[in-house]
Amino acid sequence: MLRYIAYRSLVAIFLVWTVVTLVFLLLHLIPGDPAELLLSQGSVAADPQAVAALREKMGLNAPLWQQYLDHLSGVLSGDLGASFRDGAPVMGQIVQRLPRTLEVIAAAALIASAFGVPLGTWAAIRTGGWADSFVSFLSSVALSTPVFVVGSIAILIFAQHLQWLPAGGFVPFSEDPAQHLKLLLLPACTVALSLWAVITRMTRASVLEVLERDHVRTARAKGLTRTAILRRHVVRNALIPVLTILGLEMGTLIGGTVLVEFVFNWPGLSGYLVAAVDARDYPEVVGIVMTISVLFVFLNLVVDVVNAWLDPRISLVSK
Amino acid sequence: MTTRMNRRSFISTTMGVAGGLTFLGPRALMAQDGATLRFALSAFPPSFEAWTSTGTAAGTIKLMMHRGLLSYDAQGMLRGELAESWEVDDAGVWTFNLREAKWHDGTPVTAADVAWTIEEVAKPDSAAYRQGQLALITKVETPDDRTVRIFTEEPLAILPGWFAHYHMPILKTGEPKDTQIGAGPFMLDNIERGVSVSLKAFDGYYKEGLPKLAGVEAIVYADENLRVAALEAGDVDLAEYVPWQAMEQVEGNDALKLDVVDGPFMYLTFNGSRPPFDNPKVRQAVAHAIKREDIVAAAFFNRGGALEHLPIADASEFFNPEYANAWNYDPEKSRALLAEAGYPDGFDCVMLSTAQYGMHQSTAEVCQAYLSMVGINVQLDLPEWSSRVKKGNEGQYDLAVMGTTADNNDPDGLVNVLDGALPASFVRSFALETPEISELFARGRATFDTEERKAIYKELEKVAVETVPLVGLAWRAQGYGMQSNVSGFANLPGQLTFYSGIMLEETMIG
Repeated sequence: MLRYIAYRSLVAIFLVWTVVTLVFLLLHLIPGDPAELLLSQGSVAADPQAVAALREKMGLNAPLWQQYLDHLSGVLSGDLGASFRDGAPVMGQIVQRLPRTLEVIAAAALIASAFGVPLGTWAAIRTGGWADSFVSFLSSVALSTPVFVVGSIAILIFAQHLQWLPAGGFVPFSEDPAQHLKLLLLPACTVALSLWAVITRMTRASVLEVLERDHVRTARAKGLTRTAILRRHVVRNALIPVLTILGLEMGTLIGGTVLVEFVFNWPGLSGYLVAAVDARDYPEVVGIVMTISVLFVFLNLVVDVVNAWLDPRISLVSK
Repeated sequence: MTTRMNRRSFISTTMGVAGGLTFLGPRALMAQDGATLRFALSAFPPSFEAWTSTGTAAGTIKLMMHRGLLSYDAQGMLRGELAESWEVDDAGVWTFNLREAKWHDGTPVTAADVAWTIEEVAKPDSAAYRQGQLALITKVETPDDRTVRIFTEEPLAILPGWFAHYHMPILKTGEPKDTQIGAGPFMLDNIERGVSVSLKAFDGYYKEGLPKLAGVEAIVYADENLRVAALEAGDVDLAEYVPWQAMEQVEGNDALKLDVVDGPFMYLTFNGSRPPFDNPKVRQAVAHAIKREDIVAAAFFNRGGALEHLPIADASEFFNPEYANAWNYDPEKSRALLAEAGYPDGFDCVMLSTAQYGMHQSTAEVCQAYLSMVGINVQLDLPEWSSRVKKGNEGQYDLAVMGTTADNNDPDGLVNVLDGALPASFVRSFALETPEISELFARGRATFDTEERKAIYKELEKVAVETVPLVGLAWRAQGYGMQSNVSGFANLPGQLTFYSGIMLEETMIG
């Protein structure tokens, strides 16, 4: 097991390095000069002399390989650099914003699982019936509706018309827990909707498969009640692939909540990344992408290890 | 059993960590009491450097924290701020008499602070918005703590306007460019980067009884639809940049009110370094080929107006009625001008705009349609904004759509978009020499008599109509939406709309 983890960790480090290098190079390839952009706010002409001075200050006049090496050595010493725009340390910003994105994802995963697993199971045991069709229809709609549509409709109904919840924004939990949870509800539900559809479909397929297995037939033959069979023998077994999918989906969501964060003004990591790309803030972009790739690779690793641990039939040793 | 326990502990740990980390977040972001105004900003200031052009949202924050020598009142007239009065002598030396004012740290604002500010801004590497202009100042004298005398090589009538701009506040001697110490009505209380800026009233502000608010909570709503939703839901009291499509909805809501002015404008710029747009006849043909009303309808939901001349508002004393429709929609004339220029069958060209902002893209699409009717086959280049800026600065286009405001309501405020003698920039035509216009701008700046200045700018507009260094397309409405119980706030007229943050000192709730 330890050897396997060590091997996977090495692969993970290589992957992260590749991502960081690619992002660094791509950023310098695409047009747009951070110094020029910073001085051209509000459609105002940037003075070439001021742009040159700022480029020097940003270290952009150094050869690309030197900028790359400087950045890599910074990363290795735990320093992700400072924002081009206002000199704020990138690490500090990530530490502040990442938990907010994780919070939305965790809340969404909870909501999605709470509704997805029971509904998926229900659809499976009523397979072919109206309940199955109804759940399939709902999950298709949920899966195919873009989050910005869901988010906008939610704001229209719950904020503008009913005025039950704020339209968007953020307040730390420590300041006002009730307001924090109110603000969290709409973005979490919006993210949860498509996640719910995935979990429901996965649960349904998985439960259907387990229902066909011999041990379930045996349990029926033993005269166990339907509820007991479902709870003890079906759902628990069916949940393993669902958990795997949930883990991978959560990894994808770390960088994929951009639209939700934008629509609800939730100051998480994804929105921060978009603003950084817009401003060509190289240290910020590389720092955030690196964080996201580290988390994604780590989550994959955890999912693999946990799966192997839960099911000894999954071999840890590459053949 | 083991699995269930693990799952439970996983969930509780995750929630615990997420909750715990959230606790580490900085302090309050929302309004604390009734006297704090919640202001929906359209963008977070990219930096707090006081003299750098960092956009209009940053300008609003600066207008709360800082003060310049002068500013504008609700009618758009110059008024004193740190300077109580100002005058010019026969030699063109401007004297500013300072009032008794304090910095946020309690120390007095002195003439030495003004001299230091001018010196810092004028440095070649200052990256300041006003660097180019203040570099023309040859000497600053401070005979006493309350008097500043400013010398320039040539007499400059428009000098006071420089010191009224929101990117030109006076800073305390020795403070960093992004200092939190100002002399404005509000003091910086807290910054949540990318999210909000909290300001609280400064009780040592030099205007008696102001500010009327206990504080301002400027919360960033980058999405325009959410900004309106927040206003309608009562999450904010005042919102800038109300999108055109939502203006009717805000006006129709009894709980809200809308304050709109026509200020910013859309226009076309040209690449003068190569054919066909190095030919003024071709540029004139473009000016007559486009029906402006369709741009106003398509891009601005009819919130704005056609612009068939230089962007000088009809309310301005420098407005020239005879040129009001100088570039009117006349496709026949356009085709004739093209034939005269040697392009009877038209030509192909690339129009630069951006897909990032709907109004820029819609304007480009309408122009494309109308230009095709006179034989000019336009291919649109619609990169995101940063690439558009770079391509514009480097002249990688034939003609381009642009939108901005002038510096102020004085015609000299148009120098940035018109004067071809200035360095290459995406806000004006590329490599398009305008020697007569540059000369007329210089004369206008050096002339103090209003009637004489009117004649100079009339001549300037005549030259511009003939040489077409830009093509005016449309005025666009700029609106602030607010709760009906907000009073004292006003959208400043015309090009001064982005100076409206100055009114927050007089704003009240209820």
